[in-house]
Amino acid sequence: MKLPTITKITIRRLVLISTFTTLASLFLMVASILFPGPFLLVVAMSVGQLFGTMSIVLYLLAIAFDLQGFGEHDDVLPQPED
Amino acid sequence: MFELHSTEDVLRLAALVSAVLAIAILVWYLVQRPALNRATKIVLLFGLGVMPMAVALAGNIAGFEYTLKREFCGSCHVMRPYVEDAADPTSTSLASIHSRNSTFGHESCYTCHADYQIFGAVTTKMNGMRHLLMYVTEYANTGPYGEGGPKIHMYKAFKNTMCTRCHSTEAPRWAAVEDHAGMLEDIRKGEAKCLDCHGGDKIHPRALAHGGNGRAPAGATGEPAAPAHGEHHGEKKE
Repeated sequence: MKLPTITKITIRRLVLISTFTTLASLFLMVASILFPGPFLLVVAMSVGQLFGTMSIVLYLLAIAFDLQGFGEHDDVLPQPED
Repeated sequence: MFELHSTEDVLRLAALVSAVLAIAILVWYLVQRPALNRATKIVLLFGLGVMPMAVALAGNIAGFEYTLKREFCGSCHVMRPYVEDAADPTSTSLASIHSRNSTFGHESCYTCHADYQIFGAVTTKMNGMRHLLMYVTEYANTGPYGEGGPKIHMYKAFKNTMCTRCHSTEAPRWAAVEDHAGMLEDIRKGEAKCLDCHGGDKIHPRALAHGGNGRAPAGATGEPAAPAHGEHHGEKKE
């Protein structure tokens, strides 16, 4: 099985997805704090925290890829064949 | 909106401040799109990890604290007859008398109904999830007092330990009651139930006023009381 190529863009996309899932998670958690009720509390403590966990995992994954040097040579143009 | 009267209020405020900081960092990142250098990574770690974790932690504790309140129990309409009676300063029901206690009155539902064991809080919250499921599947759109829904009953028998955690059976005033003294050992062993004498309409008279739960208080509708839907199927264990 061929693994997908990890580029700088992949890493930035992971961070971007992580950012949006965190915002969604924060929205749910803040809503449950401002308007506490059975449904919002349950949703915030389940879906909200699932999103939050997912976002930190994605971010750490992105950082791990970045530290491993993935995509470091993305901006190096291929040499023309002589 | 936010008056800091309790630990719960402080936690809610802490959660909101953390959320605002996290959102500010994330919006900054989305607008500026800075290069992922070390400084950006550290700032993002706060925005994506540290601050949201603080929101989750403080929010969870504040949320759990809120679920202990009578106000929370009353947020489902089928509980209205119970919480209205509990909040009535003229009511002489046990629920209302306990609800006027300055120490735990605002959490009277939880105080009397929560399981009393090491995992009591957990099992109580699991039952709460069951309540929510029942509410959605059986009691939605059942009238302002849930009068169109099935009869409400407890999942398990009300144990004496719910009462004796406060009423220790040791106090002289309690022991001076003739009936208490006469069956002290039976009460302690749970062979004689507190509710045998103090149960039924002595606790939640408004909910039981018509022989069933989920009913409008007497005189609220002006209509004669009718048997509750499903009353003949249900068993009131209270």
